[in-house]
Amino acid sequence: MSIALASRFARRELRGGLRGFRIFLACLALGVAAIAAVGTVRASIEAGLAREGAALLGGDAELELTYRFASEQERAWMAQNAEQVSEVADFRSMAVVGDERGLTQVKAVDTFYPLIGEVGLEPALPIALALGEQSVLPGAVMERVLKDRLGLEIGGVFKLGTQEFRLTAVLVDEPDGAGGGFGLGPRIIVLRDALKGSGLLESGTLFSSKYRLRLPENSNLDALSKEADEAFAQSGLRWRDGRNGAPGVAQFVDRLGAFLVLVGLSGLAVGGVGVSAAVNSYLKGKTSVIATLRTLGAERAVIFQTYFIQIGVLSLLGIAIGLALGAAAPLALAPLITERLPIPAAFAIYPKPLFEAAVYGVFTALIFTTWPLSRTENIRAATLFRDAGQSGARLPAVRYIIATAALVAALLALASWFSGTTFLTLWTAGGIMGALVLLVLAAHLIRFVARKIAPWARGRASLRWALGSISGPREEAVSVVLSLGLGLSVLAAVGQIDGNLRGAIARDLPSVAPSYFFVDIQKDQMPSYLERLNNEPAVSRIDSAPMLRGIITQINGKPASEIAGDHWVLEGDRGITYSTELPDNTRLLDGTWWAPDYAGPPLVSFAAEEAEEMNIALGDTVTVNILGRDFTATVSSFREVDFSTAGIGFIMSMNPSALSGAPHSFISTVYATPESEARILRDLSTTFPNITAIRVGDAIERVASVLAGLAAAVSYGAAATLLTGFLVLIGASAAGEQARTFEAAILRTLGATRRSILTSFALRAAILGGCAGAVALGAGILGGWAVSTFIMETSYEVIWSNALTIVLGGILATMLSGLAFAWRPLTVRPAQILRSQE
Amino acid sequence: MTAILSLKDATLSLDGNAGRVDILHGISLDVEKGRSLALVGPSGSGKSSLLMLMGGLERLSGGTITALGQDLTAMNEDALARFRRASMGIVFQSFHLIPTMTALENVATPLELAGDKDAFAKAEVELETVGLSHRISHYPSQMSGGEQQRVALARAMVVRPQILLADEPTGNLDETNGNAIMELLFELQARDGATLVLVTHSNALASRCDSVIRLRENRIDESQT
Repeated sequence: MSIALASRFARRELRGGLRGFRIFLACLALGVAAIAAVGTVRASIEAGLAREGAALLGGDAELELTYRFASEQERAWMAQNAEQVSEVADFRSMAVVGDERGLTQVKAVDTFYPLIGEVGLEPALPIALALGEQSVLPGAVMERVLKDRLGLEIGGVFKLGTQEFRLTAVLVDEPDGAGGGFGLGPRIIVLRDALKGSGLLESGTLFSSKYRLRLPENSNLDALSKEADEAFAQSGLRWRDGRNGAPGVAQFVDRLGAFLVLVGLSGLAVGGVGVSAAVNSYLKGKTSVIATLRTLGAERAVIFQTYFIQIGVLSLLGIAIGLALGAAAPLALAPLITERLPIPAAFAIYPKPLFEAAVYGVFTALIFTTWPLSRTENIRAATLFRDAGQSGARLPAVRYIIATAALVAALLALASWFSGTTFLTLWTAGGIMGALVLLVLAAHLIRFVARKIAPWARGRASLRWALGSISGPREEAVSVVLSLGLGLSVLAAVGQIDGNLRGAIARDLPSVAPSYFFVDIQKDQMPSYLERLNNEPAVSRIDSAPMLRGIITQINGKPASEIAGDHWVLEGDRGITYSTELPDNTRLLDGTWWAPDYAGPPLVSFAAEEAEEMNIALGDTVTVNILGRDFTATVSSFREVDFSTAGIGFIMSMNPSALSGAPHSFISTVYATPESEARILRDLSTTFPNITAIRVGDAIERVASVLAGLAAAVSYGAAATLLTGFLVLIGASAAGEQARTFEAAILRTLGATRRSILTSFALRAAILGGCAGAVALGAGILGGWAVSTFIMETSYEVIWSNALTIVLGGILATMLSGLAFAWRPLTVRPAQILRSQE
Repeated sequence: MTAILSLKDATLSLDGNAGRVDILHGISLDVEKGRSLALVGPSGSGKSSLLMLMGGLERLSGGTITALGQDLTAMNEDALARFRRASMGIVFQSFHLIPTMTALENVATPLELAGDKDAFAKAEVELETVGLSHRISHYPSQMSGGEQQRVALARAMVVRPQILLADEPTGNLDETNGNAIMELLFELQARDGATLVLVTHSNALASRCDSVIRLRENRIDESQT
């Protein structure tokens, strides 16, 4: 009964139109739109990856091995289960044209490549033709960036190892390009047969081999995957299939998308502040209506429901607008986004992200409106006679506090479920709530300080009015600091973290990092390699170590993941070395190093920090699969391994007799003066054409550019938060316009000039904006320091350019919104205002 | 005669910015069924506050108040609201019509709250009684002050209240409109046999009531019948 009646009353009230609700709608719509748009882009990429899964993989399924080709037994299993098998070897090498050298990621294929999809070439040639023999030399295709770097033209000749190739076309579309993960160099594709005699892909060389399978129709992928795992998992063979053709990319997109949605939630939280303020302001205007209804006999439930329904309808409208915008924006921008994405995306309207955004919108609206709505219960009929509307307790009834807490808990649970990471959700939520509390405290502090210092401003009228209005009974300070502060805080934190991280990589790392990494140095090449470098005066240090790669399969005889969970060391293969002596710059933290002549059962020295994380203790056994063979070693010591200097660092080092018989190559780092780097590279790669040089500076640039992209993505999320904050700010300024108009009318009556009033408005805005910026900066610096110190483990320093931008941005935004609403107070004639107040 | 409204040693104090303020002190009075009572006195003497206490709009700080035999001090806010919509009509100086509702909807609201299925038909009749049948779909902002007060009067009377409380109903009207409203008020009171409590500054209006209570400095200064 009361619901029906409340619905009727609500409908009548809503006939008054949406005046006063524009900011409410905009805040909710923008927050929901940001989340819906991020979710839609994520869903589009996921759909694209799923649709193109087989093409991205290069087959219906793929079996991958690390630096060995498949055994007879493995090949037999593939031949038995697949209609066709294509073999691809993937490795790094140096492409050489005269004196020019470029690091490249080589894909050595067979004539079946690609099993699925088509290679895009310029000029348009079939791949078989492009890789076939061209005027005596085997053909090759490469990415344009490498072609330009080497100054090569179509028809030109370049070398890989000792083998010459003729460039036949530019590689513009590699169908299985996204599935391979992060490569350090541009791609070259050649036939594997053409590499015979190149000196590359020799025993011990670092490469991975991939076997793409075309499966019979209706093959049971689950059963095949299980069979392959059971038969070959212990030999390091890994199965993937077209259902998840690019798992690394899919996981990255999923994680980044989840994080951006959480950043979007902070925007919605700011929007919630605006929503709450708008509802408060609306209900203030409805005080006499509510009191009248109370006088006429309306119970509290009817009143609450009447306004709950109104706000509910408006919330749904705001959410609907947000969903429409969030779904439409990615569709409209699809061509632009597709062009910039290296992976396929199928842009469409996806219900799941829209549902997710709608749920977030509904919960935010409920959380931020329940509190002000509950106050309708405190409005008594006596308000019609005297200002008793907000008399009584400022806190709402306990049931509303419990309901709000329950809604927050439900929202967090949902966000954890949607994002798939409770840890990140709770930290983000904690950050948002912490920042909100900090901002409210800061706003009250600025009011307190303004009240205390106001007497000092006597004689400076504009400043005194500004301080007076900040410390006065109106809640403008809280609205301004809260609305702008959260967006600025996120932006400041991103700026500080990004600046420090990039600083650590691009500025600090080169001073301690080697100039080059050389890989694939054959054992018999090592003496002459070291001799050449020792005779080079510009070289200050050379580190080298034998390197094998293997996958940890067991710890203490149990599957490794049972003991160490999903630790990163277990993800894929890891470098392993051996050494007679404890290397000079290595510190043993526990246990003992083996004797130089030790020839007993295999022993391993493990990186201390990782061992602790993986629950590995001294005396435990670790089984590593190297080249398809299991090596079980007992952990005899823990070492300190510092990965932050980009030097050589191995998680595992074994005693020589355990590994030296296995085929392997050497890895070496060379520290040299920057001006000698090119000369050293030329000399070494001419003398040893098979070895690959990775310039650390290039790798750092590559990593830095990926980080820059990530920081940009997060900054866009923060910008949406900031825009919402700006809207809330405009709402706060609009809400205060009437009071400012009256204030200005009185001041002008008393003889104040418009200039002095405008100065006072500007000062007020600047103080509040500066305060919001300063708090955001504090939060940003704290966040930056915490992430740098505890997560990245790098040194931290304040990025002052970012800090200054944040504070100035806060001041500018507040002044803009404040002064936009200064026009009416300054232009309306005082008599007009004062008469209307009588 | 039976007292329909009865106050015993009623006291009202409110917390203000300057501390606790005594609004009414030691008020005892009885209003008999079907009679009219005028509350007069200088501004700030507590006339409107006394009216609020009678309507259950304000809580007593001390003493008791009964209306239609029910102890208003024992009722919670919702019980008071239900009591008002069943038995009381209140008219304000500032009309207090709901701006988003038409005249008809304003008048029908108390009946709707009471769950009356014929709310709109009865409201239409009541508007006709106050001479506003041509204004039923107009909003308050589209009507003159006199018309708005007629709507407010119709809204107060549509539930056929046993008690009618009026707080300076002509205070915001010119003399002609004020006189017309008062005529209507007494006419409707007589029609329904309601008990009327009228707050007014006008001695002429007060003299039309069966009894007059003069307040001064928060107490009853004089009572005339």
